[in-house]
Amino acid sequence: MYDLVIRNGRVVDGSGMPAFNADVAVKDGRIARIGRVDQAGKREIDAAGKVVAPGFIDPHTHFDAQLLWDGYAKPALSHGVTTVVAGNCSLSLAPLKAEHRMKLVGMFNQIEEMPLKAFKEGVVWDWESFPEYLARIRKGLAINVGQLVGHSVLRLWVMGEAAMERTATDAEISAMQGLLRECLDAGAIGLSTSYVDMDETLKPVPSRYADADEVDALASVLSEYGRILQIVPEFYDPDLTIARLDQLAELSIKYAIPTTFSPLFVSADNVEAVNRVMARVDEQFARGARVWPQVQTRPIDISFSFAVPSLLFIRLPGWYNVMRFGTRDEIIEAFSNPESRAKLVAEASSQMALWSFLRLRHVASEANQQYVGKTLAEIGEMRGVTPLDAMIDLSIEEKLDAHFIAESMGHNQDKDVGGLLKHPRVHIGASDGGAHILSFSTYGDTGYLFGHFVRDKKLLTLEESVRKITSETAAIWGIPERGLLQQGLVADIVVFDPQAIDRGAEVYVQDVPGDGSRYIRDAIGVDTVIVAGGVAWSAAEGYTDDVRGSTLPAPIENPLERIAA
Amino acid sequence: MMAAELSPVRKSILPQGGDSWETIAQRELPDTAQSDAVAMLQSWNLHVFMRAAGGVGRIRGDNPILPSDVIFVEPPRA
Repeated sequence: MYDLVIRNGRVVDGSGMPAFNADVAVKDGRIARIGRVDQAGKREIDAAGKVVAPGFIDPHTHFDAQLLWDGYAKPALSHGVTTVVAGNCSLSLAPLKAEHRMKLVGMFNQIEEMPLKAFKEGVVWDWESFPEYLARIRKGLAINVGQLVGHSVLRLWVMGEAAMERTATDAEISAMQGLLRECLDAGAIGLSTSYVDMDETLKPVPSRYADADEVDALASVLSEYGRILQIVPEFYDPDLTIARLDQLAELSIKYAIPTTFSPLFVSADNVEAVNRVMARVDEQFARGARVWPQVQTRPIDISFSFAVPSLLFIRLPGWYNVMRFGTRDEIIEAFSNPESRAKLVAEASSQMALWSFLRLRHVASEANQQYVGKTLAEIGEMRGVTPLDAMIDLSIEEKLDAHFIAESMGHNQDKDVGGLLKHPRVHIGASDGGAHILSFSTYGDTGYLFGHFVRDKKLLTLEESVRKITSETAAIWGIPERGLLQQGLVADIVVFDPQAIDRGAEVYVQDVPGDGSRYIRDAIGVDTVIVAGGVAWSAAEGYTDDVRGSTLPAPIENPLERIAA
Repeated sequence: MMAAELSPVRKSILPQGGDSWETIAQRELPDTAQSDAVAMLQSWNLHVFMRAAGGVGRIRGDNPILPSDVIFVEPPRA
């Protein structure tokens, strides 16, 4: 008898081959048979009218902290995502000495917009080394995790405060190489670095003080394991992006390693720039390099309130400094005091088109409910003030808990985005899952891919979309035994209705430690999500206790054998 | 395809240890008067030049060029 049989489904096996009708049987956590299955299963799922596909893999997330209190990475798992890659953009929670914890929390807070209070109340700091961190998150892990090592934390461990001041000495680079080997032996999936990010004091993060020799030395260690290098380039400038991808291509060829950069956005005003970047990607692939750009499926929507700093204001230093460094009372005072308010208004008035276009999405008071859903232009007209003043006044009245949204700010031209997603050398990813939790929902990108680009716009086929977020992602990242429905492979499976799958509406929920809130989207049209043969989530049951997630790849049991090889 | 066959793109360098606008100007634009060369480099690299330096009292307080920066040594191509 099988442990599980999924019957009557339409199998999209992740290879890109046309879908076919078959049953899928699972035994001991692996796919035992695909075809006609006569034997019964201890559990049976009727997938008539539904697609049976490999679990989706999300290669760009920041679930590092959330995994410490939520081994399901909710709600990513319910969207069919069975593997996430965490530790992107030079930031991971290990290896990390106790004295650097608050420094790293500050960076996560600044760069990934994750609340300080969640770290304070949701994290028990009982690890320092990378193996200790992996052991910690493995407890209660329902989703699979590929954990990158952050370059900034490697530097912090080896160099201390000097990591944020200077290049490393030869001895320090050698120590970083040793530390990276320890992480890769323990099961790290690769290394991440950043060329753009700033810490909580608005100074460059440690990885930006590394010279080319240091990155080269670390890439040489990745080469020993065939592991990936992920970077965040200066994505706002195509010349800089091309220079970075050339840098990556040299490392990729020299050390025979895969590399990836994220994000890459295409909007109405940068189509030609993105074409230039992609032409360069094509040339570098033709040389034999692997430089995978990551492209997200969803358009850019940004929500904010003035209660927490928002990167939407990063180019308005007066505003950003108030949001970043002010307490709630100080921010209200800055908005109320005529002199400081006038300065802020003057700084922001050149962007009146943006303020007019913002929409009020949430307030607590009864009196202001009448404005919810309206643009600031409309609210300003109702109140007889400018849109900018309306935003400030509402924020004061709501004690900063007035929430605004800038909708469809870019990456929203279907044909251009769809063309990129379909491109054979584009890697679908960059969801940022687990980060920016008060700016936008980073969940549901896969539902949006199938609902919007496959079903509604018909810009990609079902089979190629499944392939891109399963077997192709597994191949790029070297994720073993997953990404395909094939006899003998690990049974990470998602069952979904192709006519219904989508991302739900963005909703504001309070489920973050420390009474924190975030924006999420629930899954629509996903029926069952199976990890290593166990039903981890289903539409009928919700999240289950059958938790079988792993960290991927597995630790190297005998590092000496690797060295010998 | 070989490296030499790649399409030409805007020429850039990565800084060497201790580099400043002046040292890069001397190395990359030796035929241009230094003050002019520095001004040109700064105008081609606003992503570095316009960035706040390391902060008062910090080691990099007087030099905004980071070891990881891409420095363009020619203007944007048409």
